Amino acid sequence: MAVEAAFDFREDGAATVLALRGDWTVDTIAKLEQDLAAVALAGRPSAGAVVDVAQLGRIDVAGAYLVERTMRAALAEARMDVRGEHPTARRLFEAARRAYGGEVSEPQGLKGLTGFFDGVGRAVAAIKEEAVETIGFFGETLVVLARLLSDPRRIRWVSIVHSMEVAGLNAMPIVALLSFFIGMVVAYLGARILGDFGASVWTIELVAFSVLREFAVVITAVLLAGRTDSAFTAEIGAMKMRQEIDAMQVIGIDPMEALVAPRFIAMVVMTPILTFAAMMAGIAGGVLVAWGELGVSPHMFFARISETVPEQHFWVGMSKAPVFAMVLAIIGCKQGLSVGGDVASLGQRVTTSVVQSIFMVILLDAFFALWFLEMDW
Amino acid sequence: MSGDIAIRVRGLVTRFGAQTVHEGLDLDVRRGEILGVVGPSGCGKSVLLREIVGLQPATAGEISFPYLEAEGREPRVGVMFQDGALFSNLTVLENVEAPLREHTRLSPHLRREIAALKLAMAGLGKDAHHKRPAQISGGMRKRAAVARALALDPELLFLDEPTAGLDPIAAENFDRMTRELAKSLGLTVFLVTHDLDTLHAICDRVAVLYGGKVAAIGTIAEITAHAEGWVAEYFSGPRGRAAIRGVVGG
Repeated sequence: MAVEAAFDFREDGAATVLALRGDWTVDTIAKLEQDLAAVALAGRPSAGAVVDVAQLGRIDVAGAYLVERTMRAALAEARMDVRGEHPTARRLFEAARRAYGGEVSEPQGLKGLTGFFDGVGRAVAAIKEEAVETIGFFGETLVVLARLLSDPRRIRWVSIVHSMEVAGLNAMPIVALLSFFIGMVVAYLGARILGDFGASVWTIELVAFSVLREFAVVITAVLLAGRTDSAFTAEIGAMKMRQEIDAMQVIGIDPMEALVAPRFIAMVVMTPILTFAAMMAGIAGGVLVAWGELGVSPHMFFARISETVPEQHFWVGMSKAPVFAMVLAIIGCKQGLSVGGDVASLGQRVTTSVVQSIFMVILLDAFFALWFLEMDW
Repeated sequence: MSGDIAIRVRGLVTRFGAQTVHEGLDLDVRRGEILGVVGPSGCGKSVLLREIVGLQPATAGEISFPYLEAEGREPRVGVMFQDGALFSNLTVLENVEAPLREHTRLSPHLRREIAALKLAMAGLGKDAHHKRPAQISGGMRKRAAVARALALDPELLFLDEPTAGLDPIAAENFDRMTRELAKSLGLTVFLVTHDLDTLHAICDRVAVLYGGKVAAIGTIAEITAHAEGWVAEYFSGPRGRAAIRGVVGG
């Protein structure tokens, strides 16, 4: 077991003697630091100092350094002598003295308010840079797609189908389930609030309008942002970190063609399909609540939809799906390719990717709403 | 005699499914020595290292630390992984401080000074302190990793391929640093390597893992004297001979 570390300071003729007792190791010296500092500050003027190691137990580099430091502070230029027999102490004092490289500097960088404003400034500048880069990346992707169209043999069908399965098909259950619940919630709200006006039958229109125009496609896009877009960033980012992207380029494979284009195409194909599934599930949720709460049979529900809800609402919703798909694919792949060499940047890029895509989805949805309103669709 | 043994491995068996890596492996590492562990790729060198430091359980067998246990101390190990495995979100200095922060109650100032001292011992100067692992070269990362491994002053140091990926000069410097640290701090070093120069330059003894067992152990002279099969091929191939010549000639 470790023996507690202790020390004595005593005058011995002309010299000051620091006698060490017990184990001076990294585990035991924490308590001594304060005491030793007090001693050092007391500043004993004497010809020289002697460290007595006769009673010393084990010592390691940390312990040796603490003794070294104390003596250095107390003695300035004078020499430290070691007295007594010990198997390792002298060697460790020597090692600590040789390796000592002066005061440790503080990390560089702005602090306080200046640092805060510096950070804000950089963040604002980064937004502009990101926006320009992302738009540039979109253009680059379009060029690659055009090239692929002119030379269809270069299209990587296996990658596309794989991405469609992983990014699209596997998301089907969760998208449908969530949309189903949203449909139920909207129907409940309608039944409650419209019921107050005696207009609860309009619940059917409320569900159909909101699910077809907005909820199905937005829920799908947000889920894909959290699920698929983050996976794109992480996959491509990990490949970037492991230099697989560099390897591709050296071999002569264009990463845009091999990684970005298949994901882009897969998303553009799958998102409308998922949106359609979400619409159906959302309306099913509405049907269930209308049946249970209002006593409207499914037959009546659908009959009323086909009478009072124009088909254009369906197309308004569907028209947004490919746009959102492009946004998600572009942001996911772009952030993945921007990953740097370390793990922290991977995490940061995945976060950025998800936040940006959800932000863009909601923003675009607002623009669409405005546009469709003005167009009276 | 057990007072001189730092690590004792007895009857170690390791299986991954149907694949047997170690089949009744026995090994003694003496206190204060630098033991080089060599063997063909896939012979279980790194697995052995992981089992000794407790990262991975063995299928059967016993691993003990006789002299530390005799003194009633728990074995504390420092490990340098192949590419350093520094925490990428911390600076170099913070990396070395991390074990100290976790296990001791030193004041921040002393902790930082001790970390700087360890870095200096591993040959890294002040200019590297506040850099991130991604900003320094592979050789410097390895040095920082050694400093982190030594942060808590362990008596057992494990090095996994310390010179892999370094240029010959950097590798030689690294070898010299390992040797100096081991001798001045009284470390027992378990060193997995493919680098014949490292074996010749700094190892007191060499253990050859082959066929799931220690096929040979001893100084290089002892091993090459009775070498046969893979071991003979390893040490008497062109690279092996060159490394021996280098040490004898130089």
